[in-house]
Amino acid sequence: MAMLLSANATQTDTQTQTGFPRLVSTAPAARAINAVKLYGTAETSVRALDGVDVDFASGCFTAIMGPSGSGKSTLLHCLAGLDTLSSGAISIGDTILGTLRERQLTRLRRDRIGFIFQAFNLLPTLTAAENITLPLALAGRKPDQAWFDTVVEVVGLRDRLNHRPAELSGGQQQRVAAARALVCRPEIILADEPTGNLDSKAGGELLAFMRRAVDGFGQTIVMVTHDPVAASYADRIVFLADGKVVDEMFEPTVERAIDHMKQLGG
Amino acid sequence: MRRLLRGALSQGVRLFGTALAVALAVTLVSGTFILTDTIDAAFHQASADTGGSSDVVIRSTALFAAQANSLPEREPVPQSLVEKIAAIPGVKEAWAAIQGYAELVDKQGQAIAAKGLPTVGSGTTPDVTLTAGRAPTGPDEVAIDIETARRAGLVLGDKIKVLFSGSTQEFTIGGFLQAAGDVVASTKAVFDSVTAQRMLGVEGQVDAIPVRAESGISPNELRTRINAVLPDQYEAVTTAQVERESAESWTKAVAFLPTALLLFAAVALLVGAFIICNTFSILVAQRARELALLRSLGASRAQLTASVLCEAVAVGFVGSLVGVVAGFGAARGLLALFDRMGFELPSTSAVFLPRTAAIGVLAGVAVTVVAALAPARRCTRVAPVGALRGADGGRTTSTQGRLVLGAVAGVAGLATLLTGVLSGGNRPLVAVGLGAVGILVSIAVLTPLAATPASRVLGAPLVRVFGESAFLGRENAMRSPRRTASTAAALMIGIGLVGVVAILAASVKASAGRTVDESLRADFVLTPAGLGGAVSGVPPVVVDRLRETPGVATVSEIRGGQWGLDGRTQTLLAVDPTTVTAMHAVDADSAAAVRRLDDKGVLVRDTVAERYGWRIGDSVPMTFARTGTKKMVLQGTFSTTAVRTDFVITLGAHKANYAQIFALEVDVALAAGVRLADGRVAIEQALADYPVVKIMDHGEVLAAQDEQVDRLLVPVTALLALSVIIALLGIANTLALSIHERTREVGLLRALGMARRQLRSMIRSEAVIIAALGAAMGIAVALFFGWALVASMRHLGVTELVFPIAQLGGLAVLAAGAGMVAGILPARKAASLEVLKAISSDR
Repeated sequence: MAMLLSANATQTDTQTQTGFPRLVSTAPAARAINAVKLYGTAETSVRALDGVDVDFASGCFTAIMGPSGSGKSTLLHCLAGLDTLSSGAISIGDTILGTLRERQLTRLRRDRIGFIFQAFNLLPTLTAAENITLPLALAGRKPDQAWFDTVVEVVGLRDRLNHRPAELSGGQQQRVAAARALVCRPEIILADEPTGNLDSKAGGELLAFMRRAVDGFGQTIVMVTHDPVAASYADRIVFLADGKVVDEMFEPTVERAIDHMKQLGG
Repeated sequence: MRRLLRGALSQGVRLFGTALAVALAVTLVSGTFILTDTIDAAFHQASADTGGSSDVVIRSTALFAAQANSLPEREPVPQSLVEKIAAIPGVKEAWAAIQGYAELVDKQGQAIAAKGLPTVGSGTTPDVTLTAGRAPTGPDEVAIDIETARRAGLVLGDKIKVLFSGSTQEFTIGGFLQAAGDVVASTKAVFDSVTAQRMLGVEGQVDAIPVRAESGISPNELRTRINAVLPDQYEAVTTAQVERESAESWTKAVAFLPTALLLFAAVALLVGAFIICNTFSILVAQRARELALLRSLGASRAQLTASVLCEAVAVGFVGSLVGVVAGFGAARGLLALFDRMGFELPSTSAVFLPRTAAIGVLAGVAVTVVAALAPARRCTRVAPVGALRGADGGRTTSTQGRLVLGAVAGVAGLATLLTGVLSGGNRPLVAVGLGAVGILVSIAVLTPLAATPASRVLGAPLVRVFGESAFLGRENAMRSPRRTASTAAALMIGIGLVGVVAILAASVKASAGRTVDESLRADFVLTPAGLGGAVSGVPPVVVDRLRETPGVATVSEIRGGQWGLDGRTQTLLAVDPTTVTAMHAVDADSAAAVRRLDDKGVLVRDTVAERYGWRIGDSVPMTFARTGTKKMVLQGTFSTTAVRTDFVITLGAHKANYAQIFALEVDVALAAGVRLADGRVAIEQALADYPVVKIMDHGEVLAAQDEQVDRLLVPVTALLALSVIIALLGIANTLALSIHERTREVGLLRALGMARRQLRSMIRSEAVIIAALGAAMGIAVALFFGWALVASMRHLGVTELVFPIAQLGGLAVLAAGAGMVAGILPARKAASLEVLKAISSDR
């Protein structure tokens, strides 16, 4: 298995270095190649990912859908370098995650990836503004004030910057998290059910903001969701079932997404 | 109930820190008892050897009780009595016991005895057992103990010089004595009876007459028989009783030890209580949901409280057991500590009484349960539904209530303390102590209100240097001020006490130094080298030699003694009224009183004279061991604190009433024009044979005083350090619990790109801030209490107030640094969390 992994890695490296012609017009911001993730010991093992091959195009808003247990969260965690594959490879831009040490992975998450989790996105001790600039502060960098202002304006948090999370509504908290993800201009934003705990209005606002970030700033977003309405904001839906990519859909609508999910039995 | 307890036991690991805190405090408790019992046993064992083979001892009756730490002074018994006693039916054998000062000197002219313990010379008795050679006979032969011989590398037939109080003579070593486990003497020299009497200056007299009974006659019976024929001023007692008295006097001499040590143990337990209370508060808050669920399922409040208290009992019990066992090590450590202090305590194999375990466990469990009481009650106050919804563990004391309580305790404490300081009454220290307690309560109550702004200020430099991770650490320290405050308060106690001790020591040194600077006029002060045992002192021959030394103008001798007043023991100093005021400058009234003093009179401290209602011209009944009660005329009073006793007589009166001929101190003034260095050389030459005398100029007197203070300072600080260590343990414990509580936050931070190094730095920053807060409060408390304590000790001669700034600053920095060390383990634990697991945990 290790042989396979390193062979894959080398191949991908060579491809990038030699400028091997790519199949898609834009270079993928992230990609999974034959990604396999096993949980548990040999006899009771579960294949959470069972050979996933998928590219996430740069400047594209991709939703990952699938029934629970389909492996969509595992895929997102592996893309983020929070979890490791049993075999196969994940890359963010030109970087193969499997070859990175712990410290390099941390830096990758800090500098090149933005996160929006379903809940508990913010440090309770910090104000909204401090939460937004946290990854930059961890990197010892100053935020670009103009960009910070733009982001804050877009998410509509101007008058909430000095509030602490406990003083913000759930929707506002998620928008702070989105602003944080955006403010350091990451190569890719990974969102894990970002609207899962929100009512439809607050969820809609957040998704509209994410849409604007893609359209207006060319941000790449990968979002895991089980909500067809949320998925309908994306450019493309990747459907996962039993740890495999089973289908995809471009320019989705809510109805098509629901139909598709029904077919998958989700 | 069992089910409730299972929830508790699952937190075992988290209670480890608490158990350790209990264990450390109990270690000191148990160590104290083991040490005391061991010393006690050693004294009894050693004293059991002193009586030898005798059954009954005849001695003169004591005219007044001894001071707590010594045996009463007794008159000698005439030699002629030995024959008479021997003739009493039932007496198998009676002999003379003679003891006195005999210092052995090695070939380099140095005293062989170590540690300043008494060096004993005696006459030979039937009890003398030799390991080699023969019993001493004739005027030139001595037998010395084999231990000393080994130490000095002496063999049979060697010549050895022996210093007596009046003379020096060389002897041939004819035999070695068996080394007995004697606690009183560090060297022993035995001569034949006649030689011993002559050399020790007690011709025709013996100290006591030991007697052996015919077989079939019990010691009690023999004692009664002898007492029937003895004159009133003598008494016969059984040897067993003499040995018991000896052991008791030694035990009494160290009776302060357990009290003092238990005081330190109490401080350690108090600090431990803070930590226990904190831990249980956190644990209960973390379990609020679980407890609320149990409540809604029908568990009563009492059941929940009981479950938490059971947990406390279990933790207290385990911790105490560990502490009791660790006490063995502590007893060893304490022994070493006191050795450093200059007390050489005898020891045998450690003595462990069941009482030690009982008290240790009881103290540990009691403190744990009491400290856990408040958290245990608080946890049940939360409404079941509220906690299920995720409200925190019950309402805490309101800010207003806190302010009121803090202000009341603070004002009351301050008032009491100031009354003590300002009134200068009889018992200022009591008022100061009570006031201090009030102020400490006030601080403990108010700190949570100040913890947030204080952390902000104290953390500022860290944030500047270490950036975001320190910033986040500071935010964490500020988020639960109550937790931060009580963790810091535990450290405050230890640091505060260490600080107070440092201030007190510096002030005592400065005050003593000032007294020396202002009043010492003598060019040199001669004192016995070492700590000075009961028999040693500056021998009279030294005084005579000094008088003949070229360049020396005046020699003034100061002797000391005990005497009885209404059966109670008092001390006195004996001075030469014509010369002493030239050596020690005191206030004009006191000096005039001294100059008027003659051999029939006594000077009394003004406050003491007032207490007894004596006026000048009244007679003071002074009972001396040797001469009985004498009516001495009160010829004047004095007020100076430079004199360390309440009664002063003349040297002439001393010589008339005491057999003891050693000086406590001999002051020397050089003739005009003689340089100090030359004077010193002359004195050293004159006293070359007397290595037991220490010659000190002003600087050396000051240094000797400082050294005395330091000798106490080191062990006291070391004992208080235990409390500081427990408090640091508390910081580590609180942080570990906090991190457990904030697992998800740690996960989030790591996911967002916080490096492990940054995470560790964040947690260590929080630790440093808590420690710095505790240290800052401790130093503030120390400055204030130090001032109060010194101010209320004016009547004890502590006139100077000194804040050793560098030392206190160093202490604060050290504490903050130690805080960082305390943060290392929790930081590691946090850094080792798996990001994904942490972020998806339910905490």
